Amino acid sequence: MAPVPAGGLTFSADGKTATLQMTNLPIIDQPRWPALDAETTPAFMDFKLVFKSGVEPVKYEDPSRQYRFEGFEASAQLEARFSVPSIGFTFQSDPLETSRCDFAVMGEEVNGRYYEAPKT
Amino acid sequence: MSDPVMNRRRLLNLGVSSFGLASLPSRLIGAPSSPESCSPAIPQNHEASNGGSCPYPIPWLDKNGNHNQPAGPDVELSSIYHFKGKLGRCSGFHGMGTDNQGNRRPWGTATTDFSYMAGEYWAARQPHPGVFTHT
Repeated sequence: MAPVPAGGLTFSADGKTATLQMTNLPIIDQPRWPALDAETTPAFMDFKLVFKSGVEPVKYEDPSRQYRFEGFEASAQLEARFSVPSIGFTFQSDPLETSRCDFAVMGEEVNGRYYEAPKT
Repeated sequence: MSDPVMNRRRLLNLGVSSFGLASLPSRLIGAPSSPESCSPAIPQNHEASNGGSCPYPIPWLDKNGNHNQPAGPDVELSSIYHFKGKLGRCSGFHGMGTDNQGNRRPWGTATTDFSYMAGEYWAARQPHPGVFTHT
């Protein structure tokens, strides 16, 4: 998890589209993951991720784990560039519109101390 | 010793079945945790020790914040505990791309996931505004 710089996450006026964009995000290249002794190499990622909310509402809640998510099913598309400078490796994905994902949601979450279980 | 580039190329095609952090395009693992600036300060003048301002991880995640389960219905989607705010999460990306040798490769696996969390979290006995991503 990493902090997002100011302006890195923007929402459309209607709140239905979220765009997350970051550059030179330090990541780890770990080709032998998940081996316990898998070696790591510093790497970097530039990416643009766009969520678009759909109309199907979703609600996930587990009082025993103190979380509640309410929102909508969504679509998400990603364009990214990865680099591993020490070995001169780069990878550029095709344009955003060509990607797809199996699961996406966007909405609001409360958990932990902010969570109140439903009254029964 | 195997060629690391070949391993990486091979993983671009294979994907990874284990449930872990984002896997783009191979085991290009997500961003490291928050910077050390939020680590607990040493209290001065006998002040209370309230811990640092780093967000709490979800208790049942591993130390790296990995969910170790795919994003989906009825699972915790946030990476921050004691959080309220906007959240988007997606997983199971698929796409194509090109490496620096001109090779066309697919990218993405079932565990290739991203999220944003924008709102308020509680740490060091007070609320903090914050925007984070899990990659």
